[in-house]
Amino acid sequence: MAQVILGVGDYGASNAPGDEVKTFALGSCVSVILLDPKTRTVGMAHVALPDSSINKAKATEKPGYFADTAIPALLAEMAKFGCHKKGKGMVVKLCGGANVMDSNDTFQIGKRNALAIKKILWAYGMGAVAEDLGKNFSRTVAISVETGQVTLSSPGRPNWNI
Amino acid sequence: MDHKITMENLQEIIQSIPLLSASASRLLQVTANPDHELEEVISLVKTDANLTARVLKVVNSAAFGLMTEITSIDRAISYLGERIIVSIAIGDCAGKLFEKELSGYEAAGGALWKHDLRTAIAARELVVQSGADISPDLAFTAGLLHDIGKSLISDYLKDTAPDAVSQISSQDSYDYLAAEEKLVGIPHTVAGYELAKAWQLPNELCEVILHHHKPSEAAEEARALTYAVHLGDNIAMLGGFGTGSDSLQYHLDSGYNEYLNLPPKVLDSVMLEVDIEFQKLEQSLEGMGG
Ligand SMILES: [Fe+2]
Ligand SMILES: [Fe+2]
Repeated sequence: MAQVILGVGDYGASNAPGDEVKTFALGSCVSVILLDPKTRTVGMAHVALPDSSINKAKATEKPGYFADTAIPALLAEMAKFGCHKKGKGMVVKLCGGANVMDSNDTFQIGKRNALAIKKILWAYGMGAVAEDLGKNFSRTVAISVETGQVTLSSPGRPNWNI
Repeated sequence: MDHKITMENLQEIIQSIPLLSASASRLLQVTANPDHELEEVISLVKTDANLTARVLKVVNSAAFGLMTEITSIDRAISYLGERIIVSIAIGDCAGKLFEKELSGYEAAGGALWKHDLRTAIAARELVVQSGADISPDLAFTAGLLHDIGKSLISDYLKDTAPDAVSQISSQDSYDYLAAEEKLVGIPHTVAGYELAKAWQLPNELCEVILHHHKPSEAAEEARALTYAVHLGDNIAMLGGFGTGSDSLQYHLDSGYNEYLNLPPKVLDSVMLEVDIEFQKLEQSLEGMGG
């Protein structure tokens, strides 16, 4: 089994049945997961911040880093696997976006990430069928390309699926 | 099973840990003084042949991509800046503490070093961006050392992570510190503070280590610094580098407003800066802590 490991700001896709697409320790970052049932392709972006306007150079170098540049980049990547360019027919799942306990507006970066992503997805007519967002713990996410199952883990907690 | 650590045990643990080298210890004292000169740092490093060699190795590492080799220690230090010199000195003496696997937190080897390095970078960046009257380099050093107590109590916390996490989610414990106290008798803040005192660290650093989860309780003269590290710590955890099972299991102390004037959306720019700077530092300090 090969692992496609995505770091902060990375995005990627696979259609090899033995593969696992994985990202480690999402804090306030959000993992956008796109499953395409038609081509059996799994794509994921590990998004760190809501808006690329704070650093255009970084957005060019790593489009997956910002919500507004990550989703178009991920869709373009998946199109290489024969998926619909605008995400038609894809199943969306979201996880991550954790916050600090007693967070205030300044520190609710996880919440702002999740909102920014949802807004962009809406513009494509896409909505998440499953999500595990917010709360106050880090999440590691692994997706089996063969089954499309999304498994989450966090130190000190039993694994769970969405 | 009862694995309580008494204060006596803690002192035994601390005695089993090597002391900081004389030069590292002096370096921390000198750099904590707001009026110190770079010259003092340079002459201190020069007294330590090991440290000098490490500094030259780091400055010439691929991470900095210099076209020509720097062979003068004076130039190396002014190029790298104080915070990197301090990181090298601490890593040299206490690398094992940062590097070890913290099974009590279900954290792999090196996770604490990464957490501390990111906290240090974020604390420094917050000081710079808020224009606070704190030495940015001291904020960095404090960030680097803030969680050192975790490596002292981790072995005692072995297999307790699920318990600690569920205590907090069921609100039986206020935060991970309270859970540590229930489980082993001493939270990582107190353990770190005792080590800091044994190492004779400057008072501000001791205060940060003891109060970094509740800066409002720090001594007035160290409070702004403690807030900077507190926020840096939270930024490190939000960025996905929170040591292990304790990540995000603490409360935000929002009293920072009185001490740090943060511009709106500061978090976005600080988080981005931390990612960029961390990559560079981690690569150049490789093998130092993790
Ligand atoms: Fe801590
Ligand atoms: Fe910490």
